[in-house]
Amino acid sequence: MNRNGRKKFRTSDIVPFAAFIILFVFFTIASGGRMVSAYSLKMLLEQSILTIVCACGVLFVVAQGSIDLSVGVNVALSGVVGMHVATATGMGWLVIPCCIVIGLLIGLLNGFLVSKCHVPSFTLSIAMLIGLRGIVNYIQTIIGIEYVPQSMFFMTSSAFRIITFIVIAVVIGFVFEFTRVGRYSQAIGENETTARFVGIPVSRMKILVFAISGLMAGLGAIFSMATVGGTTMTMGSFLEMKVAMAIFFGGVLVTGGSSARFYKVILGSLSITVIVYGLSLIGMSDSQISESVEGGLLLIILFITILTNRRNSSWKKEAASADDAAGSAG
Amino acid sequence: MSGNILEIRGLNKHFGPTHANRNISFSVKKGEVHGLIGENGSGKSTLLSQIAGLYPRDSGEMLVDGEPYDPSSPIDANEHGISMVMQELGVVGNLPAGVNVFLGRTKQFSRFGIINLRKMRKEAEAQFEKWDLDAPPLGDMPDGMMIESRKMIELARALSVDPKLLLLDEVTQSLSLNNREKLYALIRRFREMGRSVIVITHDIEEMVEITDSITVLRDGEVIGTVRSADTTPDEIRMMMVGREMSGHYYRSDTAPKYGERVVLDVDGICVPGELEDISFQVHEGEILGFCGLSDSGIHSVGTAVYGLTKASAGSVRLAGDGTGIASPTEALKSNVGYVPKDRDNEALMIHASIRDNFCLPSLTEIRGPVGFLSPSKLKSLSSDMVERLSVKCTGIGQPMDALSGGNKQKVNLGRWLAKDLKLLILDCPTRGVDVGVKAYIYQLMNEAKEKGIAMILISDELTEVLGMADRLMVMKDGRITKTILRGNDFTEQAVIGVMI
Amino acid sequence: MRTDSQSRNRQRNRWLFPLVFAAAIIAVLVIFNIISGGLFLEWSNLKVIISHLIYPCFIAWGFCFLFACGYTDMSIGGVVVLGSFATCALGNAIGVPGVVIGGLAVGLILIFINFLIFTYTKIPSWIAGISLAMIYEAVAVFLKLGRSTKPLVTASLASEYRVLGQLPWSIVLLAVGLVVIYFLYNRSTIGLNIRALGGNRDVAEKLGINVNRTLLAVGLITGLLIGIACFLQQSYAGQTTVKTGLTSINMIFQPLAIYLLAQIIQKRINIIICVPICAFILYAVFNILTVLGVPSGTLQEAFLGFFIVIFGVIGQRRAKGVVK
Repeated sequence: MNRNGRKKFRTSDIVPFAAFIILFVFFTIASGGRMVSAYSLKMLLEQSILTIVCACGVLFVVAQGSIDLSVGVNVALSGVVGMHVATATGMGWLVIPCCIVIGLLIGLLNGFLVSKCHVPSFTLSIAMLIGLRGIVNYIQTIIGIEYVPQSMFFMTSSAFRIITFIVIAVVIGFVFEFTRVGRYSQAIGENETTARFVGIPVSRMKILVFAISGLMAGLGAIFSMATVGGTTMTMGSFLEMKVAMAIFFGGVLVTGGSSARFYKVILGSLSITVIVYGLSLIGMSDSQISESVEGGLLLIILFITILTNRRNSSWKKEAASADDAAGSAG
Repeated sequence: MSGNILEIRGLNKHFGPTHANRNISFSVKKGEVHGLIGENGSGKSTLLSQIAGLYPRDSGEMLVDGEPYDPSSPIDANEHGISMVMQELGVVGNLPAGVNVFLGRTKQFSRFGIINLRKMRKEAEAQFEKWDLDAPPLGDMPDGMMIESRKMIELARALSVDPKLLLLDEVTQSLSLNNREKLYALIRRFREMGRSVIVITHDIEEMVEITDSITVLRDGEVIGTVRSADTTPDEIRMMMVGREMSGHYYRSDTAPKYGERVVLDVDGICVPGELEDISFQVHEGEILGFCGLSDSGIHSVGTAVYGLTKASAGSVRLAGDGTGIASPTEALKSNVGYVPKDRDNEALMIHASIRDNFCLPSLTEIRGPVGFLSPSKLKSLSSDMVERLSVKCTGIGQPMDALSGGNKQKVNLGRWLAKDLKLLILDCPTRGVDVGVKAYIYQLMNEAKEKGIAMILISDELTEVLGMADRLMVMKDGRITKTILRGNDFTEQAVIGVMI
Repeated sequence: MRTDSQSRNRQRNRWLFPLVFAAAIIAVLVIFNIISGGLFLEWSNLKVIISHLIYPCFIAWGFCFLFACGYTDMSIGGVVVLGSFATCALGNAIGVPGVVIGGLAVGLILIFINFLIFTYTKIPSWIAGISLAMIYEAVAVFLKLGRSTKPLVTASLASEYRVLGQLPWSIVLLAVGLVVIYFLYNRSTIGLNIRALGGNRDVAEKLGINVNRTLLAVGLITGLLIGIACFLQQSYAGQTTVKTGLTSINMIFQPLAIYLLAQIIQKRINIIICVPICAFILYAVFNILTVLGVPSGTLQEAFLGFFIVIFGVIGQRRAKGVVK
């Protein structure tokens, strides 16, 4: 460690990089080099877009130590309703603001319930998962799937999607790494009591991050529809799991805090995409295989990350709990 | 030697860098009531916890009835005839009181695996009756009961193992007068039966009355053991608190010195259960000291002023613009800072870096355009502070938990002093900090005083408050009992009498 | 010491709430009956509700123990699927004993593995459960692709093997389960220990309770309960579809709602007894929704999610401290 304060690279930070490299190399070899073709690399990027966009939003929530598993249904609901409004009114451009607004509203609802009603974020996410999916399914039984209107066809072009994605990613990355929103969220994840004691408006921050997550999901809906050309019956399904996996694969701890970094979202998302795409390249595109591979790898990464993280070294735990006794009583 | 129920030789206990018990040696005779007394942080509870088997000692010997004693758990200690009533919560709130008495030892009531709850409750009742104690409703959950009732349950539990040695850690202060008398009677019975009791209490008069001998602890060491019949409460107090006061450690002047302008106006604050009708003012450049026992409410003054606890009555206002402080967020905006007593859990993010901790209160000021927090600004701010305060670390990226207590406190204080504060509230700022850093912190306080920052200094350490304050508020039972100006009255004897 | 009259008052209050509660339920049932034009309280309809609620009851009881440890296990759906396979295989081979053994064995082993992972790797249980769910689902798919599943219903011996899933045997099982689990939760050392652990872990440890041993014992109990749910589910439905894409998690939503509702009422009525009652309430509500024409699979799911949120909010009203 040198004096000017550069962080030593912790083992727990290196593991996700190592995992990514290993995966990439493995699939490159296994696919006979097809993984590194220009086409593949482009596919990797495109297939990561939706995950990255939504994961950026959830990153804020995880940084605080909570979780938002409602992004999948959020994408579905925002997309379905947004598209419907656009096609029904004939004003194609409405789809964009509509998706954003609905995503935001769902996020605000989540934030309110977690912050003011003290519902644990996990239970809430699960409830939203069921409830909203039910509503989406119901709506779709009535209106079926819808296609991107002519006037908005430019949305589906690859160039548009990639460029918009980069712009959004840069903006949200800036907000997380270089503004108070990100820093305060990390503080809340590190120690909520301390955050409160230092004057951080904790309740407001909690609502804010869920709103951001909802907003990003709204944007995600637009990307999803732009990729596919419209809505589908399984829009957003399994997305929340992909997002959660992307975040944890990248090395973010479940408790968030300063382990939550923007680059980890990118890293984790790419890793997941490499697995899924790689498996399809080598002919094992059975979603079941990729699922078990993802599940197993996730467990391993989580275990290693927790194991190597200094926070969990046992003597510290004993000292910490004993310190309360010593300090408060004496 | 054979008359001793308990003997301790050379016992040591460390918690990380803190040396909580240093080379402790003392003994308790059979049929003796032995008192342990000392200030907060002197190591009493730690010592008792080790005797009771709550955690292992680092080194030293313990002998019970002449045999080596090394308990692996509280239940193991029970089997050796030792049981304890802890200072903090010792009942499980969601199980009935009767069950709490026997939790962990329920085998005696089970047949074919099914526990006879009725029999257990009867046994619990019998315990209360045997020792002539008032039993709370044993079928109810402790969650809804008063602290006193919960303590009685814990007492019954400790008694149910029929102990040869009973350990009581600050039990009397949760009991009403009535139950206290019963407890004294119980202790006397123990003595008559040839059994022993170790008692920790803050009430020195009580201690002298009910014990046969008293061991005084200070800073983790045994200062001495005296026979209660031969000593006086004042003598005990001197042993507890008496310390060399080196002159230039604190302030060198002996008169109050502060500006005319009132910075903070506190009027009639009431917090149910903690504070009653607290009013005072703090001036520019003044160090206003608060001292008292741990339940006197001094710590609540800090949280109430900073907006962490809501007052049911009264107001806290910053004179000048008259703005109130309703929450820490508002306090921060009004340039008020707070250094809490519990450094690791309330003040710092111990797994985060020095830089993250240091910059946290100042993020609003460091903001650039579009809310941009420049990493180079953050870095230079933290590095400057690390240099100025000589924080021993390997770099600003180092996590806080690797630093010593003293250096942690430097970061803790430093980040507030880096701001343009009007008022700084300090709660036990030199707790768990070595002498060198202590002196340095006092120096920082003096510097802040020169700059005109108003300070509230809350401390368990009497000498510290006497050394640094311009005015001193002595508190007891949630009220301010005395206000003393810096000067001739600033002696320990004058204060302790009002405090305890 | 409380005076006698105060004790008598409390004794009276203790019976008051359950009576009022029972009266309220009956009132609601009557209303349901009226709304549905008399269809609701018909025996055939009630039979449907009751048979439907039995295996979720066992899962909800498993939750009582699970949540007492502070664990949230999302992989239970995956476990049930695998357990159902074992039930199928062994049941077709050796009859009803095979049905029971298959379900119990798989439930026990897998849940115990889960507990080992939760306890010793320190990975937060909810995410570990999700990972395990993925693995279990994949295993189920693998097993299915290996050979064609014969749902029990096609074999002519089926109705004999499925006996445990039908009334009256399923009700017998429920009753037996209720009694056994009641004693286990309220009157056994392990039950008291796990509740103490769940109530206040630090104090429980200080009082001398061995944490790891208690957790693993609870793992066994939960495993048995889930095992029972496995063979009950297979016996009732006759077939199990393989779930992928984490849709196995859907299988635990209803028991979860039952558990959350029971948790709210547990202050007045013992939670083990609450569970079947709340199960009945929940399924009665869904039943009436179906009768009223609310489409299941879509809007009924929306109701379910809504209930969970409401139960969660009410249940948390008393919670203090930091909630994530």
